[in-house]
Amino acid sequence: MRFPYKGYAGKILRVDLTSGKIREVNTPKEWARKYLGGDGMAARLLWEEVGPGVNPLGPDNKLIVATGPVTGTIWHTSGRVVAVSKSPLTGIWGEAHSGGHFGPEIKYAGYDMIVVEGASSKPVYLSIYDGKVEIRDASHLWGKDTYETTEMIREELGDPAVQVASIGQAGENLVKYAAIITNYHDAFGRTGMGAVMGSKRLKAIAVRGFGAVEVAHPDEFYEFALEGHRRVLESDQAMELRRFGTPMLVAVKQAIGELPTKNHWVGVFDRYHSIDAETLREKYWVATKSCFGCSTACKKKHLVRAGEFAGTFTGGPEYEAVFAFGSSAMCDNLPAILRLNLLCNKYGVDVISAGKTMSFVMELFEKGILTKDDTGGFELRWGDYHAMLEALDMIVFRKGFGDLMAEGVRAMAQRIGRGAEKYAMHVKGLEISGQDGRAHRSAGLTHAVSARGADHMRSLVTVDQLAYWDTARERFGEDKVEGVVNGYSEAYKGLAVKMHEDAYAVRDSLIVCWYTVGWPPIFWMDDFARLAYLVTGEEAFKDVREMWVIGERINNLKRAFNVRLGITKRDDTLPERFTKEPMPAGPAKGQVVNLDVMLDEYYTLRGWDLKTGLPTREKLVELGLEDVAAELERLGKLPRSERPPEGEGGVGEAG
Amino acid sequence: MAQMMLLITPELCTGCRLCEGACSFHHYRVIQPSRSRITVVKFEDRGLDVPVTCLQCDDAPCVAACPTSALWKDEESGLVVYEAERCIGCKSCITACPFGGVGWDAETNSILKCDWCGGDPQCARICPTGAIKWVRADQADDTKRRMVALRMQEVAQNLMAPKRAGV
Repeated sequence: MRFPYKGYAGKILRVDLTSGKIREVNTPKEWARKYLGGDGMAARLLWEEVGPGVNPLGPDNKLIVATGPVTGTIWHTSGRVVAVSKSPLTGIWGEAHSGGHFGPEIKYAGYDMIVVEGASSKPVYLSIYDGKVEIRDASHLWGKDTYETTEMIREELGDPAVQVASIGQAGENLVKYAAIITNYHDAFGRTGMGAVMGSKRLKAIAVRGFGAVEVAHPDEFYEFALEGHRRVLESDQAMELRRFGTPMLVAVKQAIGELPTKNHWVGVFDRYHSIDAETLREKYWVATKSCFGCSTACKKKHLVRAGEFAGTFTGGPEYEAVFAFGSSAMCDNLPAILRLNLLCNKYGVDVISAGKTMSFVMELFEKGILTKDDTGGFELRWGDYHAMLEALDMIVFRKGFGDLMAEGVRAMAQRIGRGAEKYAMHVKGLEISGQDGRAHRSAGLTHAVSARGADHMRSLVTVDQLAYWDTARERFGEDKVEGVVNGYSEAYKGLAVKMHEDAYAVRDSLIVCWYTVGWPPIFWMDDFARLAYLVTGEEAFKDVREMWVIGERINNLKRAFNVRLGITKRDDTLPERFTKEPMPAGPAKGQVVNLDVMLDEYYTLRGWDLKTGLPTREKLVELGLEDVAAELERLGKLPRSERPPEGEGGVGEAG
Repeated sequence: MAQMMLLITPELCTGCRLCEGACSFHHYRVIQPSRSRITVVKFEDRGLDVPVTCLQCDDAPCVAACPTSALWKDEESGLVVYEAERCIGCKSCITACPFGGVGWDAETNSILKCDWCGGDPQCARICPTGAIKWVRADQADDTKRRMVALRMQEVAQNLMAPKRAGV
């Protein structure tokens, strides 16, 4: 039976590495209708199949690689794909998105999602080639980096156009923040998806498809797609992004006091110009590239031509790598940052968690909490890039103290004790990305409440950070605009984060890119509604209100997944650095985050319980998640006042 | 009317493959890069992308190789025309083409060769960087010169910027 909606492939590929069984199942129509695709569909599958007892690195965990209905079309930024699993780094919802060309190839191969479960006893890779699916031996690939792996698989399959998503040595060695790398330069970066692959002894997924993606209303879709590309090309900011790539944020953030420096101690870095996009462009830029279907072309290739790191050729770094290995570690040596970035791609490591782990260790050395006696003679000091390169090697191969560094800052702090937790910049176990709530209040709330932990991609608001008055006026109305755009004020940040989180859930399920949605603000929910309708043909998607409901539904489902694992309001927090230490210098000097007031507003608008942060039955039922409500109730994880009366004291208790 | 041509400048190509998508969409109303008549050859490890398609040669090897005259040169427009109904599927044109500009479509058992979308090539229309341009053949050199000159101007301006000159 053909899938009733266009845009989708209509099939899910299921691979059990324990039994070696491969099967195709139909994509449930109801999932497409209720969760769109990508992130949303993957959330549904993970909720249904990965229960609270599952060990993230055990065979029962599942790795879901999901595309959306827009993936592989010619809509602007239609090259996105998401990997979802229970995270070995955080123990909760894990999710990482990648650009490049891997996602569209999955669609051309005829699948909406690939779901891998079980674990192989020996190294294997999954090959999907022109309708033939095989689990192939990867003994000869084990121990190789992602570059070598990609080359060898392409050679083996005799086709240089095969799209390869692989792990390097970090994933093999179960580094908790190992990444999956696609074709050299693109990454499923965060939450340790590479370690999940490593635990299954799955070295790579190689895909080549020759099929088509159909759309429901071809002519209208085509015109709309051309219009979308035109809007991007006419945007000065998008074209600036094309020129400089995401590292242009270094100077932008320095100017507003939000460039995390010295392990998020302060938001200004006096040597920022040494690592900003201007310097990068002038000295190291060689080519501008883009992911599939993208008119922005923010991807850069850089080459170090001389000096100690001569010959280093790398895709990126993105802003997050520059901040994590640069300002956060007080390192102003750009060639060293390029080298670290390249090695992270080769080894398959999340640059944010790696950089933040290093800056954490640096601060512990500074404070005397760690000494060489604790680390077997290894020392990591601010800006010492030679030691950082050594640290990366130690982490990837779990050598000496690197074995502990490979666990991420939360686990390290627990092991080290002696007050180390105070300097561990994480939320829910995920290292904090390159924002600072003290200079950018909504980012503080975003870090605190995002499903995967200290996240900058799921609800980051830019209207306050970059003072987009017009956009803020459109989205929030004249009466709220002044409060919303003030990055130093808590005003309406609960509203802003909730709104953006719902919109971004739709974005991540279609799937389209953060850029030109979050920043610069070009596409928004009306565009998504029209796009979803034109691609799939589902009339209900035309209504933008339906898009908002879908976004809210997805976020509630992800929250429920985390709640089932024990997450409550207690975990929606920030390190004290942001809530108690006033920003010591820069434009945001003196600022602290008042998280509670933002949380209250956020929970209220979410319809969640103010005391516990748990989703209420009422909200879940309203969103058509009755079964989710029932499951949470069974586990005693609905707010107390929500439970049906059960004898004395059960009635009238405040929620 | 002056002859037109697709002017391809690989150094401007970002490798987005919108040309492949638009090409397949124009011909089949689906997005299917494997059936596109233009292909971006990617050298990802070196950061190089080269769009390859039929160059509509004047003295076309494919035309010479075709035993059934399914391929012929239209002198007026400059297009190498493909007539599927005359094609016997011998693939001699694929062998003869020095550029890899002719492909094979397994779904219809016919060749994949650029037909300029009937006069409005969609690859050039959608290309976001100007790597593929639809220009007058007799002015292509001028277009190219201007693109190169524009880059030289950027270089020159950087070199002579006041901070560099010490002004």
